[in-house]
Amino acid sequence: MTARAWRPREDRIGKFFTRLCGGALAVNLLLAIGLLGLIGFHGTAYFWPKGVAEVELVSGDVLIGEVHGWEEVPADRAATPGERRMRLKIGNRDLYGLDFRWVSESEVARVGYPADIVLLERLEWGNFYGRPVELHPSGVGAVDLRAGLAALHAEKIEQREQIEDFESGPLADVNYELEDLRLEERRIRLDAEEGAEPDSDRLAAVARLKATASKEYELLAAQLFDRRRELSRGSVRMQAADGQHKSIAVGDIVRILQPNEMGLFASVGLYVSRVWEFVSGDPRESNTEGGIFPAIFGTVMMVFLMSFAVAPLGVLAALYLREYAREGPVVRAVRIAVNNLAGVPSIVFGVFGLGFFVYLIGGTIDQVFYPEALPTPTYGTGGILWASLTLALLTVPVVIVAAEEGLAAVPRIVREGSLALGATKFETICKVVLPAAAPGILTGMILAMARAAGEVAPLMIVGMVKLAPSLPIDGRFPYVHLERKFMHLGFHVYDVGFQSPNVEAAQPLVFATALLLVGVVVAMNLVAIVVRNRLRRAYATSAV
Amino acid sequence: MLNQSILVVSAMLMTSGLASAGPIEVDPDIEKYAKVGGVTGNLNSIGSDTLNNLMTLWAEGFQKNYPSVRTQIEGKGSSTAPPALIAATAQIGPMSRAMKPSEVDEFEKRFGYAPTKVRVAVDALAVYVNKDNPLDQLTIAQVDAMFSKTRLCGATGDLSTWGQTGIGGDWATRPISLYGRNSASGTYGYFKKNALCRGDYKDTVKEQPGSASVVQGVAEDLQGVGYSGIGYKTSGVKTLSLAKKSGGEYVATTPDMVLSGKYPLARFLYLYVNKKPGAALDPLVREFLNYVLSQEGQKVVLKDGYLPISAKIAATETANLK
Repeated sequence: MTARAWRPREDRIGKFFTRLCGGALAVNLLLAIGLLGLIGFHGTAYFWPKGVAEVELVSGDVLIGEVHGWEEVPADRAATPGERRMRLKIGNRDLYGLDFRWVSESEVARVGYPADIVLLERLEWGNFYGRPVELHPSGVGAVDLRAGLAALHAEKIEQREQIEDFESGPLADVNYELEDLRLEERRIRLDAEEGAEPDSDRLAAVARLKATASKEYELLAAQLFDRRRELSRGSVRMQAADGQHKSIAVGDIVRILQPNEMGLFASVGLYVSRVWEFVSGDPRESNTEGGIFPAIFGTVMMVFLMSFAVAPLGVLAALYLREYAREGPVVRAVRIAVNNLAGVPSIVFGVFGLGFFVYLIGGTIDQVFYPEALPTPTYGTGGILWASLTLALLTVPVVIVAAEEGLAAVPRIVREGSLALGATKFETICKVVLPAAAPGILTGMILAMARAAGEVAPLMIVGMVKLAPSLPIDGRFPYVHLERKFMHLGFHVYDVGFQSPNVEAAQPLVFATALLLVGVVVAMNLVAIVVRNRLRRAYATSAV
Repeated sequence: MLNQSILVVSAMLMTSGLASAGPIEVDPDIEKYAKVGGVTGNLNSIGSDTLNNLMTLWAEGFQKNYPSVRTQIEGKGSSTAPPALIAATAQIGPMSRAMKPSEVDEFEKRFGYAPTKVRVAVDALAVYVNKDNPLDQLTIAQVDAMFSKTRLCGATGDLSTWGQTGIGGDWATRPISLYGRNSASGTYGYFKKNALCRGDYKDTVKEQPGSASVVQGVAEDLQGVGYSGIGYKTSGVKTLSLAKKSGGEYVATTPDMVLSGKYPLARFLYLYVNKKPGAALDPLVREFLNYVLSQEGQKVVLKDGYLPISAKIAATETANLK
């Protein structure tokens, strides 16, 4: 007998299945990469300086602006088949009304990129494109206009920074003092019994303090006005593309650029400076310009607050369900209910948060602790605390389920070993089971944080707002202001994309903000993952 | 009613003399804002999303005068303003329409007096089409026939393709794609009242969450048509001239046409506040309104694409707040 060589059976179905799995993964990857690529491309390209074109039209008009994309003209409107047109950002909103204009190829006579075109990024009214004509007060730039303008601008930037420091420093201090005194006065009046005269000694003391503070305020305000007047002195007369002249206060200019003669080095420098402004600055012009720092801060702080609330709640609930409760129909029903809770639309949680946290708890807190501020609510309106708690409710099912899984994965022998050594059940749970389950619990927390950071709908009714430049943490007692409303990156995307009047100019900002939101979520997850891996290593040996 | 608002706007113009051509300027008779001492605290505003940006810009300007004032602005639609004022979660309720009697009643039930209405700007509601749409003008009846299923403004037939508005070529068979606002918005209510003669919207109107997204939708959709405040105009759309009745004069959305009351869809924008008769307003709210009604505040209105009020109206409103 000759032995036939053994060959593996050909597994066609298995091969097909492998390919199917691989294909599904590839599609998922492609979607994720495509989405991130799109956001990343648009979000990062926004800050890169573009050349500024001078477009002469057949009609004799001249336009100056940045080319923001091309599209084909519909057949019934095109001069020649396949004609294209460009979207030109002409800026100068105070002169033309609109930032953008479409120009068809057939309209264009000549396009050039002259080096002497100047782009002014302004605090108000957006960009100005044109050529400087002269400086006021005259004489400053008589010899060299460019050098004179640059020198004046540097001086004005310094003045502007000083004014900002002054406003947020001494002036704000006095303002706070005055507000405190006003509330103190109301408190004294409220303290007085019904119908009785309020404590006149205390009132007089407050009035004295108030008079001093008011006097100081007047002084400081006068100083501020002087500084502002100084800042507004000095302007540059600019000539726009159509020959119109416009005088622009140098103090209102953020940057003076000549984009067409910038080298790579200067471009990189500008890019970094713009990105930094975006990440660290306050929003301007109803959020369509400037930075988004308050939104980043609000998002991160809200997620952290939410984590502090949800972790104990979720873990304790899971511990009870897994370790203490007797398995039975009730526990099973609770478990199903928890799972279903995860499927409740998030806006429902928002409505619950509004009714329960804001109106009921917040309103009660106001009446008991802040009666002097009423009718202006303190906690009885949406705020970062209520938003965090609402999101904690929203994400608690995720944490419970993950924590239960983590607890279930701790082997029986480990518990029994601990009990056999004389530990009580409580000691076993605290010292043996919980540490071993910690990585699983943290996985739940990561999922919860990611969900919370991306959630927008419920927050819209419990404290997230379009503009709240005062951060929930600042240098004033009590330093953490949980009652304040806050800005959120997700809402910023929605607001700028759907609500902003200058939506064309603001569109790139939407991509940049979305990119940042993804970045924030990734960063927070990375931190959590690192922590989890450390824990896993630390308890890997002790658990088994 | 439509005629009422036209009358009001034209009356306003007569007193202000703004009809002259050229770039619109704020009435020079409106007083400049004078800063006062000791204004501080939290200013909360909840209401119209049409006024959202204007409120934000005002807040920015106001904070220049009072650096420690904290402002918080929410704009999810005019209908959110009355409940917020009643619950006192906001001191200011911006609305792009006047309060309905039922809303005023609710307020009165709680406080015993009516809320105070302050006219702060003039808005024109524009009918937008895609920039490549050859159509230039419509009558109100035609607009009604496009957007409404009840056609109470007197149109005989439904308008569902662009050919029915009188444009030919490729456009003759193209369907009309409708964009509008969600029902919480004052713009929705105003358009229903004045362009649809209180009729009902078609079910095919794509309801958008914001005024800017209506314009964005029309800019991306060649066959689109939508309505939004004139302040939201972009380069991707164009506004149509409107005539009150067929055979009437078609009026464009230029500032002087709007202020002269000839443009049929002009309206005031309002801020509502809770002012007890005879009692003084909270200094913070009072100063904010004074700022809004000042030269500086009205310049902000222009910046946001809306039209400023006249000196006379500003004076009346300021007097009402005393």
